[in-house]
Amino acid sequence: MADEFEPKIVAFLCKWCSSAGSDLAGVSRMQYPPNVIPITVMCSGSMSPLYILSAFKKGADGVLVSGCHPGDCHYIKGNYYARRRIALVKKLLEFIGLEPQRFQMSWVSAAEGTKYTQIIKEFVDELKPIGPQTKLRRSS
Amino acid sequence: MEKILRKKSFPQWVKKLESYTIYAPTKNGDLWIYEVINHSEDINLDYLNTVLSPKKIIFPQREILLEFSASDDGNPEIKEVLPEENPSIVFGVRPCDAKALTLTDQVFGGDFDDLYYWKRRNQAILIGLACNTPPSPNCFCLSVNSSPHSKEGLDILMTDLGDRYYVESLTEKGNKLLNLAKKLFEEPKAKDKKDLEKIQLDSEKKIERQIKEIKKIPPKLKGMFDSPFWDEEAMSCIRCGICTYLCPTCHCFDISDEVLSSSPLEGKRVRTWDTCQFPDFTMHSSGHNPRPDKASRLRQRIMHKFQYFVERYKNFQCTGCGRCISKCPVGIDIIEVLDKVRDYGT
Amino acid sequence: MVSLEELKKEAQMLLEEGKVKYIVGYERSTNGLMPVPAFIKNPEDVERLVWDPSCIYNLTRFLVDEKRRKEKEKKPDTRPVGIVVKGCDSRAVVVLLQEKFINREDVFILGVSCENTGVVDEKKLAEKLKGKKADKIEFSDKDHFVITSNSEKIKIPAQEILAERCLECRASFPVISDVLLGEKVERRPDEPFKSVQKIESLSKEERWAFWKEQLDKCIRCYACRSVCPMCYCDECVVDTISFAVTADTAAEEKAQKIKWIEKSPDSSENFVYHLVRAIHLAGRCIDCGECERACPLDIPVRLLNKKLEKEAKELFDYDVGFDPEKPSLVSSFKDEDPEDFIR
Repeated sequence: MADEFEPKIVAFLCKWCSSAGSDLAGVSRMQYPPNVIPITVMCSGSMSPLYILSAFKKGADGVLVSGCHPGDCHYIKGNYYARRRIALVKKLLEFIGLEPQRFQMSWVSAAEGTKYTQIIKEFVDELKPIGPQTKLRRSS
Repeated sequence: MEKILRKKSFPQWVKKLESYTIYAPTKNGDLWIYEVINHSEDINLDYLNTVLSPKKIIFPQREILLEFSASDDGNPEIKEVLPEENPSIVFGVRPCDAKALTLTDQVFGGDFDDLYYWKRRNQAILIGLACNTPPSPNCFCLSVNSSPHSKEGLDILMTDLGDRYYVESLTEKGNKLLNLAKKLFEEPKAKDKKDLEKIQLDSEKKIERQIKEIKKIPPKLKGMFDSPFWDEEAMSCIRCGICTYLCPTCHCFDISDEVLSSSPLEGKRVRTWDTCQFPDFTMHSSGHNPRPDKASRLRQRIMHKFQYFVERYKNFQCTGCGRCISKCPVGIDIIEVLDKVRDYGT
Repeated sequence: MVSLEELKKEAQMLLEEGKVKYIVGYERSTNGLMPVPAFIKNPEDVERLVWDPSCIYNLTRFLVDEKRRKEKEKKPDTRPVGIVVKGCDSRAVVVLLQEKFINREDVFILGVSCENTGVVDEKKLAEKLKGKKADKIEFSDKDHFVITSNSEKIKIPAQEILAERCLECRASFPVISDVLLGEKVERRPDEPFKSVQKIESLSKEERWAFWKEQLDKCIRCYACRSVCPMCYCDECVVDTISFAVTADTAAEEKAQKIKWIEKSPDSSENFVYHLVRAIHLAGRCIDCGECERACPLDIPVRLLNKKLEKEAKELFDYDVGFDPEKPSLVSSFKDEDPEDFIR
């Protein structure tokens, strides 16, 4: 049987909410696909477009940025800035012809372990049919 | 040997050469760029000059020097990556670009032969196209010991005589290519030779720009190292690097390691073009930079081309193609700068 | 019509009274139609100044150079620099003021209005003239240009040879100035983002094919970055060797500096460089078009930045480069910012 394509997702999770949410999913033994490479950042507002593009360059099939819900940011305003900046990055990546499903953003709080697993499951299901990311990936 | 080739027979000659990789200028929007040609009908010699000279085929923008990867004993395994076997032919090389290659030959040869450069250089056969009219309003090849029909650096020189080409083979490699299609070539008649001479004389008259009394410039430059002249001239320079990247004689490069993964270790050592016009070209690891400002960098470019190179190699490091003048975003004109140098202080 | 004599008079007065250090304007070059930047220090040199449809350059770049020069001088001359700006260029000055990169008193703005037309695209002109060489170009009537070619005078409607960005112009006269020459003619194009919409209307695969073909040509000469007034970072994230090194920098620090983008022009590296530059210019690029004009390989880099200018307007109702007091796009937010794309 041929190996099914397993997408590699790089998830940038904010330390105070989303990363804690993913930890909760782990501690509660919730099942979800193992395709995620989690990277903790201090705040979704500290996300630089370089991290996202670097992930795609190195071959990530999907990139997720996840932060605290608006109003709950540990640094008060960080996620509001992220909301603006990530919107711009998303529009630009679509403009150059990258599949829009590949780059996603979510709000996940420290208590939302289940939501986190759902997001990952849906993300993996969306990426499987469109195959590996070859456009921004370094070939040589 | 000298032959005549009817223009309608030209594609048939190219067809005989299909065992080689053929490069020719191709139109891309408004620009001409050297690309590999797959069909003999695609060659169009009705062009001016390319944006990037054929230097990019012999000395590419990015070249892999070696590859390294992890091995069992902990030491990295290093594999030399020489350019692959690729016998090639480059059509449509302008005489200024071909002469430029003879200048870079001296830098990459001489005391030490650069393996990568010479592998590509030796397997490329250069077929030139003489300039019946100057490709650019900024051409000044006559001032720098070149000409619209110079044969330096070429294996074959073709001149357009209207409905036919005058084909002069200058080397063994050139002869070999002509012999592959002996039947297509005719012996030149007296009229052909007369037409050729006329075109050559006319082409020289059509060159509008020149650097007068250029011999005065190298000694004059020697005394101008500390002159405030350079501050004035470099005011509008935006240190973009276009002049050096497009120049067919410029050859500075940088070597860096591109690590694809750190464990297991895998990476390449690559050579890329670099330019003395970037602020960090001369940055030392201590943080000191001997050329921190635009004035010193403009001075470096002019003096390297018209004084240092002359002292070392007895040639100007410039063949008058005019690309730096046409493409400079702020209109810095090397001819104007040299005119000012010659007349400085008088 | 903008009076060149008036411009020269204003410039002369400023220099005679010593109010400015020097004036940055346009002057004729030694080759061809296009002008070159002029740095006028003496009142008698104002005769060199020109103003015509060929004055396409954005001279704001030289304000950045001036600041760098002042930083190195022990006792800098604190007088302002005079600069000739068009509408689009003035927006660049506004962005520099907005970011507090320069102070209002560092610059004396000689604004010139484009009135009904704008500046000419050299390539479109060459196509129109079909081989004839243009020696001079002047404004004529309300919306024509007159080109002198070998003493022949050719009149062409401006719309046919205007630069692409003039057709999408959002500031036909300087939005900020100390002196304003010419009339304030409002021009609001129907489709201010037409060139971007053309690409957006292509399918995803067509868009990718377009950008791949264009960006594969890139030789990473960084002219687009060098010519942009907004790319003034001492240490650009692309130049991994240019971080500030002193005698005290530890070897470990140097070794661990992250290399985000490789130096060599590989396809994906080129993409990342251009995309990162566009994102760093979000809310700052005012579409002066210099990046595209400078590119030796004719890559339409301006479209990437313009796309984000369009999104800034449509998503966040943000107009770039009109108000020096406004906070920057990416360090401000509104409660109503769209979040329909967020799960």
